[in-house]
Amino acid sequence: MGIAAAAVGALLAGCGGGPGAGGGKVSNAKIVLGVLTDLSGLYADITGPNAVAAVEMAVEDFKRKYGDKAITDNIEVIKADHQNKPEVASTQARQMYDRQQVDALFDVPTSSAALAVATIAQQSKRLYFNTAAATTELAGKSCNKYTYEWAYDAYMLANGTAANVTRQGGKNWYLVYPDYAFGQDMQAKFATAVEAAGGKVVAKDPTPFPSDDFATFLLKAPGLTPKPDVLGALQAGGDLANLVKQYDQFKLRDKGINLAIGLLFDSDIKAIGAAKLAGTTFTTAWFWNLDDEARAWADRFKKRTGQRPTFDHAADYSAATHYLEAVQKAGTDKAEDVSKQLDGMTFSDFFARNATVRPNDHRVVHDAYLVKVKAPAAASEPEDFTELVEKIPADQAFDQPSPACRMG
Amino acid sequence: MTSFLQQAFNGLVSGSFYALLALGLAVIFGMLRVVNFAHGAIYTLGAFGAVWLADSAGLGFWWALLLVPVALAIAGTLAERLLIHRLLALDPLYNFLLTFGIALVCQDLLRMRYGSHSQPYEHAPVTGSFDLGLFEFPRYQVFTLGLSVVVCLAVWLLLTRTRIGTIVRAAIERPELTRAFGIDTGRWVTPVFGFGVGLAALAGVLAAPMRAVNSGMGADLIITVFAVVVIGGLGSVFGSVVAGFTIGMLAALGNLYFPVLSQTSVYLLMAVVLLIRPAGLFGKEEHV
Amino acid sequence: MILTLLDRLNRRRAWLRWGLLAAGLLVAFGLPWTLYPPVATDIVCWGLFAVAFDLLLGHAGLLSFGHAAFWGTSAYGTGLIAIHSGVPFYVAVLGGTAAAAMLALPIGYLAVRRSGIYFAMITLAFAQMVYFVTNQWRDVTGGENGLQGIPRTLPGFDLSNSFVFYYAALPVVLLGLLAAWRIVHSPFGRVLAAARENPARVRALGYPADHYKLVIFVISAFLAGLAGGLYAVNHGFASLQEVYWTTSGKVAMMTILGGIGTLWGSLVGAAAIVRLEDWLATAGFEATGLVTGVIFIAVVLIFRRGIWGTITHLLRARAVAPVPQIEPHLEHDHDELQPTPTN
Repeated sequence: MGIAAAAVGALLAGCGGGPGAGGGKVSNAKIVLGVLTDLSGLYADITGPNAVAAVEMAVEDFKRKYGDKAITDNIEVIKADHQNKPEVASTQARQMYDRQQVDALFDVPTSSAALAVATIAQQSKRLYFNTAAATTELAGKSCNKYTYEWAYDAYMLANGTAANVTRQGGKNWYLVYPDYAFGQDMQAKFATAVEAAGGKVVAKDPTPFPSDDFATFLLKAPGLTPKPDVLGALQAGGDLANLVKQYDQFKLRDKGINLAIGLLFDSDIKAIGAAKLAGTTFTTAWFWNLDDEARAWADRFKKRTGQRPTFDHAADYSAATHYLEAVQKAGTDKAEDVSKQLDGMTFSDFFARNATVRPNDHRVVHDAYLVKVKAPAAASEPEDFTELVEKIPADQAFDQPSPACRMG
Repeated sequence: MTSFLQQAFNGLVSGSFYALLALGLAVIFGMLRVVNFAHGAIYTLGAFGAVWLADSAGLGFWWALLLVPVALAIAGTLAERLLIHRLLALDPLYNFLLTFGIALVCQDLLRMRYGSHSQPYEHAPVTGSFDLGLFEFPRYQVFTLGLSVVVCLAVWLLLTRTRIGTIVRAAIERPELTRAFGIDTGRWVTPVFGFGVGLAALAGVLAAPMRAVNSGMGADLIITVFAVVVIGGLGSVFGSVVAGFTIGMLAALGNLYFPVLSQTSVYLLMAVVLLIRPAGLFGKEEHV
Repeated sequence: MILTLLDRLNRRRAWLRWGLLAAGLLVAFGLPWTLYPPVATDIVCWGLFAVAFDLLLGHAGLLSFGHAAFWGTSAYGTGLIAIHSGVPFYVAVLGGTAAAAMLALPIGYLAVRRSGIYFAMITLAFAQMVYFVTNQWRDVTGGENGLQGIPRTLPGFDLSNSFVFYYAALPVVLLGLLAAWRIVHSPFGRVLAAARENPARVRALGYPADHYKLVIFVISAFLAGLAGGLYAVNHGFASLQEVYWTTSGKVAMMTILGGIGTLWGSLVGAAAIVRLEDWLATAGFEATGLVTGVIFIAVVLIFRRGIWGTITHLLRARAVAPVPQIEPHLEHDHDELQPTPTN
């Protein structure tokens, strides 16, 4: 390619791309789905390469379903690794929209990265389906009409666990939360939900992040008055593993203090050991062993990837499928038209049951599940970690639309 | 009062890790004038060594406690001969940067092998808790504290009561004088580096049953340990151990009474020490 | 005879200097035509940051492993000013930069009390403290969500286009580079270099060495802040990554790869690392830490001159034999840090 051509290409890209001259119903005569995720870091197991596989599955299933009636058979999936760095995420997202003609982005773990990508989606006027970041800001202060929240958020996690555990008799709570924005957010929502369900937060303490040592708080717990029934741990990842190891060594369960966890992924259960966690309750957006419909998809997923899907993988598949269906229905991949098809839509699939795409904040509300960790002896296979305690209906699982969200 | 003692005791336990790491760092620095940035990575490797021994060979905690520090000390001497030694004649900053690179490589290799998530380790040698009169405390935590105190004392005795130790200590604390007396300290450089590495590995093995074992576990810890040795006085073996235990205790009490300062307290303390005694609490003024 | 030779060399030197300057400016102005514009802006921001870092390491012999604190403080400071006041982004960047320089004063005051390796550890520890404060002070900084929605305001211009923004940001970077160049070639810069080589003699000559070190530390933090502020405006947000120790490691790597003490080498190092990171994100080879670590080890062990240092060294080796130094102004003749005396 000559220098002049490169320069013109760069100039076009610099000027924001815009619909190409490809003609036809879709821009550039193709639909491009981008998976921007953590392929190598902390969230690579929960999202990562398997999130790409889930979106690819959705594309294959879509092509199979419509055959030559599909709006185009030229559908691509591309991926990029944001290494959990918001700067890398923002540059990659811009490049994917601008230069690689991505029509919709999926996944994007890490709240700071997801918030950055949402802004770029709005500037680029292309869609972004968040399935991996938990911050409620995406459907609150930072909401926009190009960004959808497909899977879960901090409110869903906190509210489900706090309300249900309190109702089942865990009246007095001691909350320990990591001293950063997500922990603070979770703590506030937990406390509200506990009190709404008739319980009481005896004490709450921020813990340093990251921290190797939670003994300070574990030692403090039995001495509180009234003695707490439940230790609400809102840490994640390595900190959570630390805390549970030490909870076990300080024998708090024997002292009548049970453990409830804010955010627990299958990978955490693997890391800590199901035996240590058996009986611990938490809320999830989905789990693969939920019922036959979920299992059927999980079997296909395992055949392809060798692993059982996380809720994030299922959500990626669900979001990609409904995105493609909306493009098919709209007859174009223009973001605003696709968005019109999605807004207000109600549906049920293997992932999202009784789901509604709320038009006013783009939060997809659906049933959530209060689950508990299975004892290893009760597990049907090594990756079978959770069993259902109760279903949380869609209208209770998520918060009301935030007044802070104003979609321009 | 009980809770104060409880927390102070707990602080000593986490101080054990600071002390072991700071001690290794100080010994290496003393002999080689190298600040080993890879010290945190070695701690991580120590913990993973325990996990690996248990998973692949079925060897439990005691084997790990014996084998892992020795194996990593040998690996450390190799790294010293092959890499670090080449840069000893140059500005120490080069070795600081070299070990930073080594730390990145170790951390990423572990991540590629094990992922970023924590690894389970179910081989605590002792379980249950001791009744320490005023309060109960998990046996494993008490064991950790006891062992690290014993190790620190043993190192102290080794340095003060044996001929080899005296030479090494002289090289650490009075490098010019030692050379002036015609004592060849060069042959001790590599073994001392290996020894320091072994101490960090030991801390890592001790951490495996009570802390999350993941590829990032040593990365942030090492920065705290840097602050610890600056406070204690980098050239001082004694100072680094005392500072290690003290800061562990302060951090635990800080968690309880001043949660806002729990993470910054170490660095604030460092600032104060630098204002009053730039060489550290137990260090001697020198121009490095 | 000798006079004509010297004269010829002088003319050749001047010619080379102007030629290099022109080439450099051509690259600077042409960059967004060959590269994706936001990446081009990243490169010049990191380039200025690395030059600021080299000012300290290469010219004062001080390795700061905490420069993320200044880059990050300015990123957040700039963002807060831009979000809450709506002033043109130049003003916001200047405000953030001032905050970084102000932070550098107490940190530098404490750190310059120790030199060498202590200095590196102390700056690293203080930067970690800044990181914790930024993380905890979530009402202001947004905690780990980052400070989102930093606008690119400049009355009369539409800066939402990254291509245009590059040219809006470039003059600031060029001014920063000019300042760095002036400092190195000022009497002050020469005293610093001397203080690095032989602190005792400089002190004996009556120069307050610590005072000089503090001044260069604050200047370096100022330039780092300038770069960090622009970077935050370029991305539209500031995140904890900006104040984390990996950022300090990254800038150190850029300078070392480019060549310590070569000043312009840092720009080359920055360009190489930013391009590498960009490539790694899509290459399907997910081992950023491994690649970075290996580069670190390789450069420190066998390539200590860095890219720029190696090129000028080769050029010099090919030059006329009777005159050892042809381009004294193009580089500093310190390919390597000298081993410092241990007493």
